[in-house]
Amino acid sequence: MSVGGGKHWMALEGGADGSPGEGSYTSRFAAIGACLPQRRLSTDEVMASTKYRTDIELEQLTGVRERRIVGEGQDSYTLALGAARDALAHADCAAADLDMLIVCSISRHVGGLRLQLEPPLNVALKAALGAERALGLDISNACAGMMTGVFILNDLIRQGRIRRGMVVSGEYISELGRNAAQEVRTVMDDQLASLTLGDAGAAAILERAPEGAAGIEVAGFTTLSEHSRLCVAFPATIGPGVTMHTQAREIHRVATEEAVPMLREVLDQAGLKFDEIDYLIPHQTSARAIKKAAASFAEGFGSTPKHTVITVDELGNTASTTHFVALSKYLKEGRFVPQDRVMLLSLASGLEVGIVIFKVDELVGRYGHDH
Amino acid sequence: MGTIIEATATAEGGSLGALGLADAAARLCLQRAKRTAEEVDLLINAGVYNDRGISEPAVASLIQEDIGANPEPQPGAGQGTFSFDVRNGGCGMLSGIQLVDGMLASGTVKLGMVVASDIDPEPGVSEGFGFPAVGGAVLLSADGSRAGFTAFRCVTFPEFAGLFTSNVAWREDPRPERSDRGHNVLTVEIAKSYADRALECAESTVRDLAAESVLDLGEVDLLVATASVPGFAAALAQRLGMPAARVAMPSPALAGAHTAALAVALQSVRLEVGRMALFVCVSAGITVVAALYQG
Repeated sequence: MSVGGGKHWMALEGGADGSPGEGSYTSRFAAIGACLPQRRLSTDEVMASTKYRTDIELEQLTGVRERRIVGEGQDSYTLALGAARDALAHADCAAADLDMLIVCSISRHVGGLRLQLEPPLNVALKAALGAERALGLDISNACAGMMTGVFILNDLIRQGRIRRGMVVSGEYISELGRNAAQEVRTVMDDQLASLTLGDAGAAAILERAPEGAAGIEVAGFTTLSEHSRLCVAFPATIGPGVTMHTQAREIHRVATEEAVPMLREVLDQAGLKFDEIDYLIPHQTSARAIKKAAASFAEGFGSTPKHTVITVDELGNTASTTHFVALSKYLKEGRFVPQDRVMLLSLASGLEVGIVIFKVDELVGRYGHDH
Repeated sequence: MGTIIEATATAEGGSLGALGLADAAARLCLQRAKRTAEEVDLLINAGVYNDRGISEPAVASLIQEDIGANPEPQPGAGQGTFSFDVRNGGCGMLSGIQLVDGMLASGTVKLGMVVASDIDPEPGVSEGFGFPAVGGAVLLSADGSRAGFTAFRCVTFPEFAGLFTSNVAWREDPRPERSDRGHNVLTVEIAKSYADRALECAESTVRDLAAESVLDLGEVDLLVATASVPGFAAALAQRLGMPAARVAMPSPALAGAHTAALAVALQSVRLEVGRMALFVCVSAGITVVAALYQG
């Protein structure tokens, strides 16, 4: 139990008794950006590339039809840079206005499959964007990395320590699929999940909202580390890049189970019922897992969000970028109205549980849709 | 209300592995502060060179499980623990402290710990890895009666990015009969000129921080400075005109410590109440993070 002895298990920002309490500012998403490579790779092509003959119906199992993969000259860094520029193009601020820049990539490939440990990626990104003034920071929190960055920025903006910041990630992870294709033999293989991965970059700019304006209502995070060893990635022994080893069924099972009380905490903090969420954007691992989790949540709450967003069918699992790639897509397609309330739900290796609830509000207008 | 350091600790010895070093330092740090692991509600790992080069999950989550910091959820029983990694090279520990400072100030968390450790993941295979195997931990909380950390400054100097690099890349087996085989090799390269540029970058950052904080460097009682190269703290003190007696000097064997260097340096000194300490960490980038701490 924490020293504070508070009533909630998650670290919480906003809501009934979340930090920093009275007199705080509201933070909001000022813009969302994405960078998707042009090349598409179908699941049929992935399965045709396996070294061993398998009878795995991956598309049927996961709902992943295709994913994007990097082309010549693209890597984690270029995807992050592309996404950051896309976000800035939709914001009414410049890179020089950013107080903080947080890079959250799990994959750190720069120049092909060279995995860069140092310098941290923020140094080159800051320079390329012209964000000289920004406090640069690289963090790593598996597929919850960007959500962790949002949690950090939200906290600092709410207490007035910073006015504006960017969270950005580039994930070149289709290479894990190439490595897995050399080793996967059966549907029970611990590298099966690697075959669903796709490449993408995403960025989010957060800013202090004008007084009275809508924004992030509640954000919460916790790490249920008894499950920390269910998904582990490290440099490959069979070739360049990385391999990831996942106990996929187990991690989906515990994530779905553990999410329910955490969702309840966050909804209670926000004073909301589940069906007051217009769009639930969960982490995108497989369409089947998302539907199964949604059914379990419906049972737990007796109600469901109006829409559950699925992008994994056409983009695969893009790791730390999934929520923001989905948000960018929906904003660009004009799917939201300003009154929409969105819940981002991270369930990631760790086991990280991160939840952010926000009102879309005038973000819609930044994408040329005024509704 | 200020963020204060409750305790620091280190652990040495390559046989423990990076995770074992981090775990041991974290446990000792809690013991010194007479705290339990359950009390830690924010755990940040800032180590870069870990066992097997794990990129996922956050190593902090592994440490959290190992030390027993609320690994299982008990909703309604108080706040659990939130863990993640900071990857800011040798500045990561101070960057982590800055993040803890933010979340303590807002009240999002009550007790934060920053842990770091490095080991050579493959001795004999890795190239250029010269950092000692050491782990460190710093425990932080908010104190209503003390100033604690009063200012931070983080600056990057991308023009010197090439002076300190490390990466993992595939290298084919040179033997013709095994040309289909190879290995992912960690290579760390630190240019000779890095130490001098690190000093210049540190000095300019410190002078800006002092100006911003209306501080005369003569008022600083203690300099805690790290750059992953031996002799850096004494050389920086000289440039800043500070007497050698006010410099935290780690043991020679740990003078080249990397991400845990700040905890290592803090082991050699006492942060006395009311005294002003200047923390300066320099690393690849070149990145400089500096902070002022009123004990």
